[in-house]
Amino acid sequence: MTELDEARALLAEFPVVDGHNDLPWALREQVRYDLGARDISVSQSAHLHTDIPRLRAGGVGAQYWSVYVRSDLPGAVTATLEQIDCVRQLIERHPADLRAALTAADLEAARAEGRIASLMGAEGGHSIDNSLATLRGLYELGVRYLTLTHNDNVDWADSATDAPRVGGLSAFGREVVGEMNRLGMLVDLSHVAATTMRDALDASVAPVIFSHSSARAVCDHPRNIPDDVLARLSANGGVAMVTFVPKFVLQAAVDWTVAADENMRAHGFHHLDTTADAMKVHEAFQESHPRPVATAATVADHLDHMREVAGVDHLGIGGDYDGTAFTPDGLDDVSGYPNLLAELLRRGWSRSDLAKLTWQNSVRVLGAAEDVARDLRATRAPSNATIESLDG
Amino acid sequence: MADLQDDLHAADEVTELDGLMSGEAVAVLGADAYTLVSDPDSEPLERAHAILAAHPVADGYTGLPWVLRHLPWYDLELGESSVDTDLPRLRDGHVGALLWSLHLPEGLTGDRAVGATLEQLDLVKSVARAYPEGLRLAGTAGQVADARNHGRIAVLLGPATAAALGDSLGILRSLHALGLRALTLSGASWASGAGLTRFGEEVVREMNRLGVVADVSGASEDTVRRVFAVSKAPVLCTRSAARALRPHPANLPDELLAELGAAKGLCMVPMTAEQTGPTVRDVADHLDHVRAVAGPGSVGLSGTYDAGTAHPRELRDPSGYPHLVAELLRRGWPESDIALLTWGNVQRVLRGADFTARAAQLRREPSTARISDLDG
Repeated sequence: MTELDEARALLAEFPVVDGHNDLPWALREQVRYDLGARDISVSQSAHLHTDIPRLRAGGVGAQYWSVYVRSDLPGAVTATLEQIDCVRQLIERHPADLRAALTAADLEAARAEGRIASLMGAEGGHSIDNSLATLRGLYELGVRYLTLTHNDNVDWADSATDAPRVGGLSAFGREVVGEMNRLGMLVDLSHVAATTMRDALDASVAPVIFSHSSARAVCDHPRNIPDDVLARLSANGGVAMVTFVPKFVLQAAVDWTVAADENMRAHGFHHLDTTADAMKVHEAFQESHPRPVATAATVADHLDHMREVAGVDHLGIGGDYDGTAFTPDGLDDVSGYPNLLAELLRRGWSRSDLAKLTWQNSVRVLGAAEDVARDLRATRAPSNATIESLDG
Repeated sequence: MADLQDDLHAADEVTELDGLMSGEAVAVLGADAYTLVSDPDSEPLERAHAILAAHPVADGYTGLPWVLRHLPWYDLELGESSVDTDLPRLRDGHVGALLWSLHLPEGLTGDRAVGATLEQLDLVKSVARAYPEGLRLAGTAGQVADARNHGRIAVLLGPATAAALGDSLGILRSLHALGLRALTLSGASWASGAGLTRFGEEVVREMNRLGVVADVSGASEDTVRRVFAVSKAPVLCTRSAARALRPHPANLPDELLAELGAAKGLCMVPMTAEQTGPTVRDVADHLDHVRAVAGPGSVGLSGTYDAGTAHPRELRDPSGYPHLVAELLRRGWPESDIALLTWGNVQRVLRGADFTARAAQLRREPSTARISDLDG
């Protein structure tokens, strides 16, 4: 049996819980939520990284669908509700393949049924507009993690890719974390500044996640996790879900991306724009500047390191498919996970280690957040603190 | 047993299992099968209490959420003097269900309106969960009946303001998923003095598909007529009296009342001095008029408490409903019509909305229409 066959066999038993997929945003941008125009029950490889046949081929058993909205535009709450509606519609349209999941028990039930558990994660504190009531609204609609920031700071937390302002979490930021703990919504520390990661680890009484981040010691990019933070995951119980985005995981790609982003801006596009016109500009740049190529081995390097520092019980996977223009060779779309597992098998990872990486750790973390919430709800009323009252 | 309503009701009302029965069928059955619950020879007020014990008030509007938002502390369980509405007075008035308005001050639009509506939804749910022995959240006619059979006051979420949609059907669906059950069709570009735009019609169709009841109180006459024509489910006026008796812009002229009756809608008459008049007899005059013009199946009650308006003297707060019902008995209203007025009509409308939604969901996909496509 080749490593790839072994990987597939393992995924059949312990499928991937993927921490981050931007299909909803791609559907919003490409077809304005006309889900019939991008029927994911058949191949959409011409347009998307993600469709059901490839999720099946990739051994995905649970997906946190990102309900991301841009932080540089007004109307974040509005757009987030539309994103949530999109995910709910996807689940409704594909009942044989997708199952709405809100709890760890739902994840296990979906695995038992052979359906892909569908969870939601909101990407950036701007989606709650400084309102804990809005946070609760998102939770009720099914959102099970909130990334505290996206690429820009929010009023109460610093982003990894913005100028430091509050120096981590403000008092209101800690209140947000406390309310998330009370609800059972996972605190996601991808995208946030290292100072925010440390403050959130101090503030949270539930395990945290990194929905799509890799190791800074392997590739020095602010989107990755410093070793001192990775080392705290064993005490916290959380998971770092390794991401595949070449411009975060491969140093040569980091440098190339800086140049490519400048080119996009010079042509008047947002550097994350994935519309057809923007992609043309991207492709032209790529012709004149050959793009450094990451592979499954690049990602495996990160996992090897993260395993050393955080421990095998604190690893997961967050591909960021349909949220990135480029993907590593062999991990081109959501069908690629078996290639990553095959690489890890070649490096001597055991079956039980891989089962933790793909399925068990992530399920455990959601269940732990539920347990904490059950305790906190018994003693603490919903918080109606305002940013004005706490941050002055 | 201070935590329960005075009387326990036999669970004779159909609840969640009767999904296949249409609203009309239930209303017809209800009228045919009506049995008297009060002694016709006793005093009107005594009779009123007996009737309300069996057929409590399903009240069309309270402004409580916006008021509570600005109160640092309150106790609705033991009584709260800073508001009109609390559990003791709701129980004294035999209120069995209440629509909690999510209306916002004028001027909030776009993301601000959507966010404020999410906060109001959260507030009402928090309040309902804080008083589990008095209140229970309900989303369907069956759940309203269940709440009542458990001695709880059913809390229905809405009406919200049209601006809460942020001009997006996706947001309408998300708000419905959060429990929204009624939406007022005024104050948006697609439901204005100029009537309902094409997008506005699509909003109404999507509301039908979801089971969100259209409220046209305060909407322009053109909008009201268009909603009657477009909506497959019965329409509410959560705060409208008779314009023939009192010229208030939210009151309905006789023509519209007759059309409302023909469309099996429901005109819920507010207990406010400005819309109905300063005495309980004035309110009764409006009820008489609406019943005569729209029909006994199309008249309901709307306390409109805690909404910043003055109320008739005997109807200062929700505990006054028995006085109103006593007045109607003195005017010769048959018990069966009072049962429709207080409870039956609202349940019929809710059931109609559920039924329409279930039927529409088999035929229609969620609408992806955008305001820019339809209204240009």
